[in-house]
Amino acid sequence: MQWKKLLALAAVSLLLLMAAGGVLAQESQKIVRFTEAWPTYIDPAVAADFSSSVSVANLYDTLVFPTYDGEVVPHLAERWEISDDGLTYTFYLRKGVKFHDGSELTAEDVVFSMNRLLTIGQGYSYIFKPVIEKVEALDDYTVRFTLKKSFGPFLYALVRLYVLNKDLVMQHIEDTGEYGEYGDYGKRWLLTHDAGSGPYMVKEMRMEEYLHAVQFPDYWKPIPEDAPLEFKFIGTTETATVRTLMSKRELEISDFRQPAEFYKNIAKLPGIKVAKLFGGSTFYCMMHNQKPPTDDIHFRKALAYCIDYDAIANQIFPGARQAQGPVSFILPGHNPDVYQYKRDLEKAREELKKSKYYEQLDQYPVDLVWCAEVPDEEKVALLIQANAAEIGIKVNVVKTPWMKIIDEVATPESTAHMYLIFVSPHYAEAGSMLQSKYHSSSCGTWEQTEWLQDPELDAMIEDAIATVDHEERFAKYRKIQEYIVDLCPSLFLIDQPENYAYQDYYIDWVAAERAERGEKVNPVMGYNHYMLDVKVYPEKRDELLKK
Amino acid sequence: MNFSRYLARRLGYSVFVLIGLSIVIFLIARMVPGDPARAALGPRATEEAVQALREKLHLDKPIYVQYVYWLKSVLQGDFGESLFTRRPVIEDVKEFLPATLELALFAGLFMAVFGILLGILAARYSNTWVDNLIRVFSYLGIATPAFVVAIILMLVLGMRYEIFPTIGRLSSWVEAPPRITGLITLDSLITGNFAAFFDALKHLFLPAVSLSLGGMFQEARITRSSMLENMKKDYIAAMQAYGVPKRVVMSKYLLKPSVIPTVSILGLDFASLIGNAFLVELLFNWPGLSRYGINVMLRKDVEAIVAVIMILGIVFTVVNILVDLIVAYLDPRIRLVERGE
Repeated sequence: MQWKKLLALAAVSLLLLMAAGGVLAQESQKIVRFTEAWPTYIDPAVAADFSSSVSVANLYDTLVFPTYDGEVVPHLAERWEISDDGLTYTFYLRKGVKFHDGSELTAEDVVFSMNRLLTIGQGYSYIFKPVIEKVEALDDYTVRFTLKKSFGPFLYALVRLYVLNKDLVMQHIEDTGEYGEYGDYGKRWLLTHDAGSGPYMVKEMRMEEYLHAVQFPDYWKPIPEDAPLEFKFIGTTETATVRTLMSKRELEISDFRQPAEFYKNIAKLPGIKVAKLFGGSTFYCMMHNQKPPTDDIHFRKALAYCIDYDAIANQIFPGARQAQGPVSFILPGHNPDVYQYKRDLEKAREELKKSKYYEQLDQYPVDLVWCAEVPDEEKVALLIQANAAEIGIKVNVVKTPWMKIIDEVATPESTAHMYLIFVSPHYAEAGSMLQSKYHSSSCGTWEQTEWLQDPELDAMIEDAIATVDHEERFAKYRKIQEYIVDLCPSLFLIDQPENYAYQDYYIDWVAAERAERGEKVNPVMGYNHYMLDVKVYPEKRDELLKK
Repeated sequence: MNFSRYLARRLGYSVFVLIGLSIVIFLIARMVPGDPARAALGPRATEEAVQALREKLHLDKPIYVQYVYWLKSVLQGDFGESLFTRRPVIEDVKEFLPATLELALFAGLFMAVFGILLGILAARYSNTWVDNLIRVFSYLGIATPAFVVAIILMLVLGMRYEIFPTIGRLSSWVEAPPRITGLITLDSLITGNFAAFFDALKHLFLPAVSLSLGGMFQEARITRSSMLENMKKDYIAAMQAYGVPKRVVMSKYLLKPSVIPTVSILGLDFASLIGNAFLVELLFNWPGLSRYGINVMLRKDVEAIVAVIMILGIVFTVVNILVDLIVAYLDPRIRLVERGE
């Protein structure tokens, strides 16, 4: 019968297809693959989120390089001078640094990169825009930055100035862009190409799919022998996909956005471990400081004393640790001695009695908003609701999409009483968090739904950030943290680790090893995935596959 | 009514449908809360950059004016720029649509071939264990969502037995063929790159099967019942009485009229595959238009949302017209009715 022939044909085709697998067996590669949510931008003037930061950190070089202990060391700049008033920074560049096209990196490229970043106004430009007066090339190897006002963390912020090859970018500008004589400033071309001098260069960038980069053979720094020859950034965070890839040894490092069950199960596979890297992100319950009843300091403190922080840190976000004040413990400038609120219902009730709303609590229910895209936040919201009920405060839990939250918090009137939000620092120093979370200029953004408009605090933050002397600046940061903790504008819930499953058996990953030893990891977002700090042994991978 | 007039009338209706669709989706995309310009540039972009983008997108103008601007651009072939991929949406569509089409074509092929074959088999052996077995699998296949099938196949055939790859369209160690049509299987055949062809087939297998299973069993059920119904008709009895062999009766006289309802459903199912592929595309990290569509919706990428829905709408409309034409070809009665006879 005809259909029988057709069925037989289909079965044979299927067998052939399966047999083709033998012919196309995977060869061992010295590659590191990791997953992350997209979009990823490899244009340094656009890059600002996690995956983009990882990409540009590996494709581009910076004047200074961030270390694991929160300092910066010479990189493209061999040395530098800072004027006494803190307004002029002069950098002396290393000679003979090659871009990926073979041309030499000069001061003119640094000037171009900063001007391009400031003009486009995206990516990390927000760090520099308020402070840069001008940048000029004094000669081929000397570049000078003049600041509008003193900015103490400037040197540390320069880890976000990635140097582009000016000539290469200018060859690829499109005239139709909005930047006058610079056309589109090469933005279209830089979506899928790099113009860097970093240890890796783009081999292929497929939007929404992957970034495939290979080692740059003429890199100016010696490359460790077992460093990966290539890396691939895969644009997915689907748990089933990530799990399958990890177990097939086709993925070396997972993303950090997986549910707790994933990490628990994947760690049971041979050769896979879970690294917990604290990146400076803190989880807050932000309280509206101008809206009754959370405008009352005693009401806020009552809430701060009734929360079960241990449950959040150990059960809802396993591996997290209770935040100590508004600045993550990982960030340089954190105050390790600042007061930490603990669950103490007696104290909570005492504070509540001092509140002007104590006698009329039933008239002042509070709305607690959690972000619909982060399901674990609901558990925290329900826990806070239950904890608050113990002292007689009624909390309404409200699920809201992220885009709506951004709209809602734009005005004090439309902002709800409380929001559960994760915030990360802009640059690796306490000052970044203090400014973006508590300076009045950030009111109306999702980073500060507290609507804290305290002139005294503003002045303290501005003064600290303007202080060039490192020790003096850090002392001021510590004082500000004490002030904020006393004011209790937010509930400082947890410092959130980023959990990564990784192939411990055949890769050595410095950041994971440091975390395992209890040492600090790199506080600058993206640099824990610096590929020269990873070693890969493909023969061990093959051995694992044979088992 | 002659064929060209019939076609012209169908196309005319379709234009109205697409205009209506564009208005509805344009309004919905812009009424979702959130400022698309701010979302695109991030919370820390300068206000000047955000304002410039708002003006570029005409978001500072009333919504009907925005629609007129949009329609004018679309008529010139410009669907605007994606706020997230930062390039013309039409370029994104050109890049991602072939991946979805390739997936849908293979899934459609599975659906049509195996669906009809299983239907014939079930009808031929109706009320035997063969029919019962197909029935059980059909219920399971129809009731199980594609993404569940995808996860099961991925875990069993991808992870446990490692027969098929579970991610992307090609293995990283296989050289991709130059892009001609965007369909890797076709491009690799055209360029004689057989390693890429087989690798692409292997990558297609799991997502295509996951996607096609529900539709395939649905076609099987429809084909079966249609064949059984036609079996009772007089002309079949007459054929059998003349001593025409059963094989000939089934393949020549019974199959053609029996697949008419299957073809109608098949066409719609095929069009739905493109829109419904998103979870399968997400799971297999398949860089297709459905996955792109979901991502742009989550990011409130207004121009891209409208473009993707419009493209899907156009595909749906075109497939519908094609199905009507095929059915009209298969069933002469439909042509007679259209002629008013």
